[in-house]
Amino acid sequence: MKVATKLSGIELSDWQGEPVRLGSLWQEQTAVLVFIRHFG
Amino acid sequence: MRDRVDEIRSLGGELVVVGNGATNFAAAFREDYRLDSPLLVDPELRAYRAAGLRRGRVEALSPRLPLNALRALRGGSRQGSVQGDLWQLGGVFVIRPGGELAYRYVSREAGDHAPVEGILEALSEDAPAIAEQSLANPLCAGIGRALGRVVDPTIALSFDRTGFRIHSLAFRPDDLDVDLSGRRCLVTGANSGIGYESALALADLGAEVVLLCRSRERGEAAAARIREQTGNARVSVEELDISRLASVRSAAARLRKRPVDVLIHNAGMLPDERIETDDGLELTFATHVVGPFLLTHLLRTALEKSSDARVIWVSSGGMYTRRLNPRDPNWKKREYDGVIAYAETKRAQVVLSELWAEELRGSSVVVNSMHPGWVDTPSVKTSLPTFYRFTQALLRTPAEGADTAVWLAASPRTRQWTRCFFFDRAIRRTHFLSFSRESDEERSQLWRACEKACAG
Repeated sequence: MKVATKLSGIELSDWQGEPVRLGSLWQEQTAVLVFIRHFG
Repeated sequence: MRDRVDEIRSLGGELVVVGNGATNFAAAFREDYRLDSPLLVDPELRAYRAAGLRRGRVEALSPRLPLNALRALRGGSRQGSVQGDLWQLGGVFVIRPGGELAYRYVSREAGDHAPVEGILEALSEDAPAIAEQSLANPLCAGIGRALGRVVDPTIALSFDRTGFRIHSLAFRPDDLDVDLSGRRCLVTGANSGIGYESALALADLGAEVVLLCRSRERGEAAAARIREQTGNARVSVEELDISRLASVRSAAARLRKRPVDVLIHNAGMLPDERIETDDGLELTFATHVVGPFLLTHLLRTALEKSSDARVIWVSSGGMYTRRLNPRDPNWKKREYDGVIAYAETKRAQVVLSELWAEELRGSSVVVNSMHPGWVDTPSVKTSLPTFYRFTQALLRTPAEGADTAVWLAASPRTRQWTRCFFFDRAIRRTHFLSFSRESDEERSQLWRACEKACAG
């Protein structure tokens, strides 16, 4: 299964607490999704 | 990375950073690095897992680490450098409208970095998409199967590490490419060994996992390690001593309140003297056979409430050596031999799993058994010290031993089978020698012996 399909429906909060559905990030333009590893 | 944001924007892309901390951490981070790109938080690692960035899998240290760290700290020209340590990348994905993947980078070790040039190239319009199907290499699979046929009759080269390596060539990579969110998995004997690795793997795939352990203390320690390693908070402990019927009844009363999707009967032991439980049962018979029988019976309704329930018995290759013996399961008529008692109960587990599969045929519940090969676990070390000394280098890791149980529990593909016996993700025969075949009457006797033991 494609990574984008797996990620698309997931909803996360942004830094202000607003919900963002990941799929919306690459709806209109290319998204460079960077996962940081050093966790908090 | 931050320096490149303008370059990325000029090429029509937008940088989005995903971190693991809480929202307040994210706000502070954004300010510290003067980032004006979107920053999202994923404390439960849902997106990380979906992207294949499993925390438990990432190697922490390697010899290359100091060199990479030095390189990053040194900085260098705008052309070549990336802000290293500060950004410790877990992974980078460039996704086009429509969902096409133009670039993928998964961090392998602490301190390594995505080559930024690759990212920028992926943003150009005519960059090719990355093929995402992970096809099992048919050549490898063929070699694995052929070699398997050669080594399997030797037992030794099949049950040990070598065997796992050979058989795993034929494993299909997509089988465990699943998200188990919403599925509830119970594992007995889960604080160490194969049970622990099964619970860890299922938690890593997103399932809700309940560790059923005799010792709450050891169970809680194991659960904490699993939660930490997988980022999955839905890992809990229920106290359950599978060899004591009262404990099984009490735990089952709590567990049955919600549907059960997976039940792994893993708890096991090998005593060197005959021990009688408070219920009047010989200890291995109680642990491997009667306790799991009762637990399955009491959780039956909860299992049937699942649309896709799987019960898995973890048996042993030792079961091949014994014929089912339903006549003296408590060793009242014979001089006790712990190794034989073990092997007899391991044979009984395989038969019992078949009987339960038959009992539940037509329902949503499939029942199978498996054996893990020769595995390096604390039980082997304590119970078979000589065997352990000679074979230690060749024994499988607990994770390798757990693999087939996890596969049976998690893979959509394994739903099609019930009443089967597995080893290294393949259906195997349950008898090598004709003398070991039991009669139908003996099978019924086993079921009746279990019912009687539970009633008493």
